[in-house]
Amino acid sequence: MATALASISDVNRELARLRTDPDTGEPFQRTSVMTHIAWVPNEWVEAAEDVLAGLAERHPSRTIVLVPDLDADDALEATVEVDRFPAGGGREIAVETIRLRLCGERAAAPASVVQPLLLPDLPVFLRWRGVPPFGAGPFEQLIDVVDRLIVDSTEWPGLPAPYVQLAEIFDRVVVSDIAWARTSRWRPQLASLWPGIADVRSIEVEGTEAQANLLAGWLRSRLGRDVELRHTASDRLVGVKVDGEPAPFPPGDPPDPADLLSDELDRFTRDRVYEDAVRAA
Amino acid sequence: MTETAQPPKEVQQNPLLEGLQLLRVPDPCALVIFGASGDLTRRKLFPALYSLALRRLLPERFAVVGVARSEESDDDFRERMKHAVQEFGRDDFDEETWDWLAGGMRYASTDVANEDGQDRLAGVLDELDEQRGTAGNRVYYLAVPPDAISTLIREIGEHRSTEGWTRVIVEKPFGRDLASACQLNKEIQEHFAESEIFRIDHYLGKETVQNLLALRFANGIFEPIWNRQFVDHVQITVAESIGIEGRAGFYEQAGAIRDVFQNHLLQLVALTAMEPPADYAADSVRNEKVKVLRSLHTPGPRHVVRGQYGPGYVEGQEVPGYREEPGVAADSMTETYVAAKLFVDNWRWADTPFYVRAGKRLARRETTIAIEFKRAPHPPFEIQDDGLQPNVLVCHIQPDEGVSLEFAAKVPGQGMALRTVHMDFLYGGTFRQGIPEAYERLLLDCLLGDARMFTRADEVEEQWSLVDAIVAFWKRDRPSFPNYAAGAWGPAAADELLRRDGRMWRRH
Repeated sequence: MATALASISDVNRELARLRTDPDTGEPFQRTSVMTHIAWVPNEWVEAAEDVLAGLAERHPSRTIVLVPDLDADDALEATVEVDRFPAGGGREIAVETIRLRLCGERAAAPASVVQPLLLPDLPVFLRWRGVPPFGAGPFEQLIDVVDRLIVDSTEWPGLPAPYVQLAEIFDRVVVSDIAWARTSRWRPQLASLWPGIADVRSIEVEGTEAQANLLAGWLRSRLGRDVELRHTASDRLVGVKVDGEPAPFPPGDPPDPADLLSDELDRFTRDRVYEDAVRAA
Repeated sequence: MTETAQPPKEVQQNPLLEGLQLLRVPDPCALVIFGASGDLTRRKLFPALYSLALRRLLPERFAVVGVARSEESDDDFRERMKHAVQEFGRDDFDEETWDWLAGGMRYASTDVANEDGQDRLAGVLDELDEQRGTAGNRVYYLAVPPDAISTLIREIGEHRSTEGWTRVIVEKPFGRDLASACQLNKEIQEHFAESEIFRIDHYLGKETVQNLLALRFANGIFEPIWNRQFVDHVQITVAESIGIEGRAGFYEQAGAIRDVFQNHLLQLVALTAMEPPADYAADSVRNEKVKVLRSLHTPGPRHVVRGQYGPGYVEGQEVPGYREEPGVAADSMTETYVAAKLFVDNWRWADTPFYVRAGKRLARRETTIAIEFKRAPHPPFEIQDDGLQPNVLVCHIQPDEGVSLEFAAKVPGQGMALRTVHMDFLYGGTFRQGIPEAYERLLLDCLLGDARMFTRADEVEEQWSLVDAIVAFWKRDRPSFPNYAAGAWGPAAADELLRRDGRMWRRH
């Protein structure tokens, strides 16, 4: 049972305690490759935990889950877990998950909470569930301390309008969008239609609103001209028509959400093609 | 008014390809495995092909033809390989993937050394070109005993496809001395260009061997001290705890020097000692390796130790000596262990010994490259006898793949007591995806025509030239075999080899 902690010093002390094997007194090996921060408003907690469950083993990291609770009295409530996974040769590696409930005013300055917990010299990823509050304090603070922001614009209502605000932060932080990753099987298929697709006038996308907008934005930005978009709602990308002609279906199965996030955590550079697609969406 | 003429779309660069992470997929082709009834096909090649198929790295139009003398139907061959994949594969078995692979599998029970056999194989391949669209492209994998290679090469060469490309993969041992290796190279080159020949040394397909290049040439901190000024010596160990596993016929002829020293061990020496290549192209890397092999000073008899294991215990189990293994002569003089002190005669490594050893039935399975640095010149502390060891950078090739650095740290408390501590990078601890098997990587490289991790003719010849020199002076004496017990770390003379220089093998 994880212990509830009330300060960052308590969190650090508990991490040190849990990292030591109670039988031998030796510390477990920590092979973290990043600090992974997840900003998870209450309504996203369940979905976020599902994804995180599969992630720790593949990306040994320190994960900091921030759950803001603006209506509660000012307080910090933390729990810490250290999970161990076999690493070959009879050895185990340890990964750490810190869950922080930021109550009341504590939610207003999240960067000051996470900075003492970041692993030195390792990249910091921020996964933001839902639409980020562009321009608001907590979001602005956090993107200034992280190397990469990961969003899933599938979670955003009112598209494509929020893309305009997203594009404004491209020069401040590298952005990954899981909705964009979900189009990755289709883009090579559409590219394979070259040179026929060079004259495309319209596309019809059966998928999420984000996928439709991003695919249209991608074609517009790559071809340097307008391409009309028709969208049929579906919870996954199941078909694309180019001027009424169905594009060939990509091989293989679509990756699951944990795989998509996992792939994004392997990327470190700015994706200019994505940024252009967002601007043209 | 004039308009600027636009090139037709067909010749314009496709702007949709920008930023796409497209995996290079090989051309359509048929892979022909000679020696399809052998262990290598079952344990390594088919599990590797299956793993590639599961990751969609094989071309869509692909076929595999197993060739051996024994009678077997296509279906029996498929069934046998299916069991092999289930037993030896690294991935969970996926029926759909297997069905796809099995759909392109054929078996030809034939002796290719005769005209009929060739015609039969050609018939199967023509049929596959038609049915599976393999376009005349061929990879011939020669997983056969060394004495069968020449005939096969000649037959394949004389009947090579006139359409598409042809590549030949040749398993080790590539010859048994310099003369036979040169002869084999000559025979192969009569029919194939060097770019079509893929001499396989599966050690080069290991991720951790390739990581050695990453460690050396992608980091700024190691290369400046990777030389005679900072390195005291290098130790390379290729230790196996297993015996000869029923391969007496092969091993009696080969011994440790031909089985491991000539290929795996000298490749590790070359990768450790080579200069940075200008780029990662096949010939750039291989040119640098050849320069090292050419610079290897032939060690004198005093600098080479051979051994043969007697009975002993491995992992608590009593095991017979080499001469008691089935098929081994009771007075066999075949070495199961070889150690040598090598020098690379060049500016970087002059006078820096490379102590290398390879053997069977040693205390444990381990392949490591240890770079032992010179000691701190004047530590201002009082050093206990066992207090301050030199810094050692160890690349663990297998098992426990990774890199560790040994350095001194202060023991907490009063005074300045020092202890050697380890900083470990464990490959599997950081990169959690499964490490591809060496044969996966090498098969795919060959299908893509990438020869970087294969051995070139001149490399093989340089390796044999050194081995020939060692074997020549072995003919002059007859050591008292066996000279180490199974489960030990080799003969006492191997320890003496280092002790004479005031050094010792790393403790394991």
